Amino acid sequence: MRTLALVLSVLLASGSLGYSKKPPIATQKLAPEAKSAVQAKELSLVRVNVTGQPFDYFRPWQKKAPFSKRALGAVLPHDRVLVTADLIANQNYVELERAETGDKSAATVVVVDHEANLALIEPNDKSFLKGLQPLDLALDTVVGDKLSAWQLEATGAPVVTEGIVTTIGITRYPADVADFLTYRLSIPMQYRDNSYTVPLVKNNKLAALLLRFDPRTQVMDAIPAPIIAHFLKDASSSKYQGFPSLGITFFPTRDPELREYAGQKTGSGGVYVTNVEAGQPAAKAGLQAGDIITAVENHEIDQNGNYVDPLYGKLGFGNLLTAKVYVGDTVVLHVTRGEKPLTLNVTLEHRSEDDYVVPPYNIDEAPSYYVLGGLIFQELTRQYLKEWGTNWQKEAPQDFVYLDKFQSELFPEGHRKVVIISQILPANGTLGYDDFSYLVVKKVNGMEIHSLGDLAQAVKKPMDGFHVIETVDDPKQLELSVDEVAAEAEALQKNYGLPASQRLP
Amino acid sequence: MHRISFFICALVFVFAIRVEGQPHSPVQDSLVRITSTEVEPDYRAPWNSGSIGRGVGAGFVIDGHRILTNAHVVSNSRYLTVEREGDPNKYPATVRFVAHDCDLALLEVANANFWKNMKPLDFGGIPALESVVSAYGYPIGGERMSVTTGIVSRIDFNLYTHSAIDSHLAIQISAQINPGNSGGPVLQSGKVVGVAFQGYSGDVAQGVAYMIPTPVIRRFLKDIQDGHYDRYVDLGITWSKLQNPAQRRYLGLKDDDRGVLVNTVIQAGPCGKVLQQGDVLLAIDGHPIASDAFVEYEGERVQMPEVVERKFKGDTVTLDLLRNKQPMTMSVTLGTVSPYFMQGHSYDIRPRYVLYGGLLFQPMSLDLLEAYRISDLRVRHFFDFFVTDQLYLQHPEVIILTNVLPDPINTYLMAFRNDIVDEINGKKIGTLQDLARAFEEPSDRFVIKMIGDDPPLVLDAKKVEAARERIKTRYNVLVEQNLDEQPPPKPAVAAEDKI
Repeated sequence: MRTLALVLSVLLASGSLGYSKKPPIATQKLAPEAKSAVQAKELSLVRVNVTGQPFDYFRPWQKKAPFSKRALGAVLPHDRVLVTADLIANQNYVELERAETGDKSAATVVVVDHEANLALIEPNDKSFLKGLQPLDLALDTVVGDKLSAWQLEATGAPVVTEGIVTTIGITRYPADVADFLTYRLSIPMQYRDNSYTVPLVKNNKLAALLLRFDPRTQVMDAIPAPIIAHFLKDASSSKYQGFPSLGITFFPTRDPELREYAGQKTGSGGVYVTNVEAGQPAAKAGLQAGDIITAVENHEIDQNGNYVDPLYGKLGFGNLLTAKVYVGDTVVLHVTRGEKPLTLNVTLEHRSEDDYVVPPYNIDEAPSYYVLGGLIFQELTRQYLKEWGTNWQKEAPQDFVYLDKFQSELFPEGHRKVVIISQILPANGTLGYDDFSYLVVKKVNGMEIHSLGDLAQAVKKPMDGFHVIETVDDPKQLELSVDEVAAEAEALQKNYGLPASQRLP
Repeated sequence: MHRISFFICALVFVFAIRVEGQPHSPVQDSLVRITSTEVEPDYRAPWNSGSIGRGVGAGFVIDGHRILTNAHVVSNSRYLTVEREGDPNKYPATVRFVAHDCDLALLEVANANFWKNMKPLDFGGIPALESVVSAYGYPIGGERMSVTTGIVSRIDFNLYTHSAIDSHLAIQISAQINPGNSGGPVLQSGKVVGVAFQGYSGDVAQGVAYMIPTPVIRRFLKDIQDGHYDRYVDLGITWSKLQNPAQRRYLGLKDDDRGVLVNTVIQAGPCGKVLQQGDVLLAIDGHPIASDAFVEYEGERVQMPEVVERKFKGDTVTLDLLRNKQPMTMSVTLGTVSPYFMQGHSYDIRPRYVLYGGLLFQPMSLDLLEAYRISDLRVRHFFDFFVTDQLYLQHPEVIILTNVLPDPINTYLMAFRNDIVDEINGKKIGTLQDLARAFEEPSDRFVIKMIGDDPPLVLDAKKVEAARERIKTRYNVLVEQNLDEQPPPKPAVAAEDKI
């Protein structure tokens, strides 16, 4: 899959906003219209203190050590506070703090969207935000506009830095699931210990939230108001749906040979559909690999996959299918197949992370596992692979990375997981097996294993007193004695400190 | 036995540094200093002849007017000279036999003067642990012989880094070995007990040097008796130890510490039609196999492949095994497992390629991946699992689009770099030959389907034809394809008269 990322440079995630060694640059003077508002009353901000405690995917029965994050939330109408989803990922405890008084209230997460990196929280004390003016959204930001980053000193005094929007385009968000509209700013922002979430404001209206910032180049990517507005509208409905996705990959059609081959003799634009994921909205609507998408609704798509946005000009057509539409909406795709024009009506859906063979993220969710006589079975997830660190794509077992990256090609039917033996705890039952690691499980007791649930069923039907485990990798087969596994189970759990022998999805 | 792993070795040739004065030793009548001028192929511009380099190594005279040295001392050589102590002349030499899988080579010198007063060295056996050995050679260059001593530290199977896939018996010694020692003899009581060949660079490990022991040398000398080197043979299987009591009971084994479990049988190997996954190997040529894959062999406890290592192409080996709890005996005719070769280094060949429309297609190999530093996940997967997942059955060669030489006809095709060719005009491409043939078919257009979900790469045959000379001229391409793994021209034949 080739994604047409607007941005190529690597930016730090907002969570690793580091102190710049360079001499601090003086904060920009406030624009006149903003100045009066800031000085007259406090900024519409609250401190958000979060204690996070992620699950440990290497030891799926336990959590890692807790750690604290501080951030600033933007106060919105209806006593709600907007923050980034990274901030409250795997949270145990969320607390709001008034900047000027230091008053605190425990808070509850109302809605979270990890893919768009947005979350809404509300104080348990309903009157806690009294006196703070809720922020409206500024939806009209264009390239060249100046936005102010709002931060707070330890004293509660405002720190306001002005930056300029240099680019607006579609980029991949940190969850690595989808591309969304992004503002890119050049901004000399300083580090404060509450910089985890930083609101960006235009004329006292919320224009964006910090997505990632590189203090060295002073380049910031921000989640723009149109994405925030989509999130808030969805959040106000009875059930949060999330952003829609089509389930396709595409390729530009700049190459005249490819255009001719694909029958695109007339017209000048369109993108070549390289893959249509089975079961996803585009597939249900009848789109096929090899089709050329020439327009979405009444927006023509050019050879690179851009349409002309009334506000921004040329922009990736993904924006038409994320920011502008909702789950359940129907959009019209204009397609050429061979030389024949077609119109396809796609009913949009959100693809949940559990729908993937290898889920792209698992947050706030205890990892499932199954221990059988010292063999630790888990379902392969990207969250597990990320335990190898930021360089996981090189460091993690390469066949697992391959299974993740090419999952739609390797498992076109979907509707399954990949069960692995992630580690083998030395015990009497696993004597001599401890050289093996990172095995993909094919069958157990003769049954195909497509989930930990399958495994739990298969274990109920041992073969002549043995559990027979077949693996894709060498040694291809492992056997355990049913009686020995049962006899050793309690001691094994105690010895390795396992609170339970299984947690099924 | 093959492994795909690398370790850093310091087998670097160094230019000579002049040193004066050294006492005489009898080894000097057998030792030779070898200077090799080599041409290393250029995988990134495979039509070029490659870069020329020069290196110095050691060698020694054995019976029959032959010089034994390391393969890596003479690999890719175009011109070889040998010198001996106390003789001002350089004598041209030629490679008679080279075994890249065990890093040994035999040289010949035509000039009779060279052999005057040269004394062949005899071979000994495997030296005992802790016994003292001496290594002779030309470390870090130098024109006079150097000698270092040390003890035998370990005798074990080890990776031979010259090919990077072959493991054989190797002896670790504590004598200092440095670049320039390569190919030199290691002696004990006046007999050769090894050929110095590899070590670690100083930042990895110190005082760890390796020599090729005499069983490997003797095997090489025996293999070439018929005038041809046939390479090491292999069973072509992977196995695991059988130490788990429940697994032993499941397989119907007694509690007698015997047997190893067959994991993967490489279909193209000698056991392809003989063994199956799940078979338990109990004995090899009548030697019982212990559950940790060791066998008693000539009074020593050695690893199972050692029994096969001593054999030759066409020899048979008898395997006693248990299949579905039934005992049976199988005979295997030994041979090489050719799919492995791609995963090791090659020498003395020209890179194979096809250039069409400015698109450079090359078969995957270790040398290719290293030259381009390809880190593409799919390519790495095809490389790593080529043998064990039997990918070679579908793709005897994995053809990669390694480069695009920019031209108006291919300016939009850069995105296809590092893709693997699957089909051309509907025909599966399994080899470079297939690809070359597909482009020769009369067709207006070539539709190249890559593995994965990229769109087809489409070429207009007429436009490619029109661009041919332009691309050749612009990029100084001498020849548009090399389909055969033909060896480079033979080094110049040694002149009878001394130079």
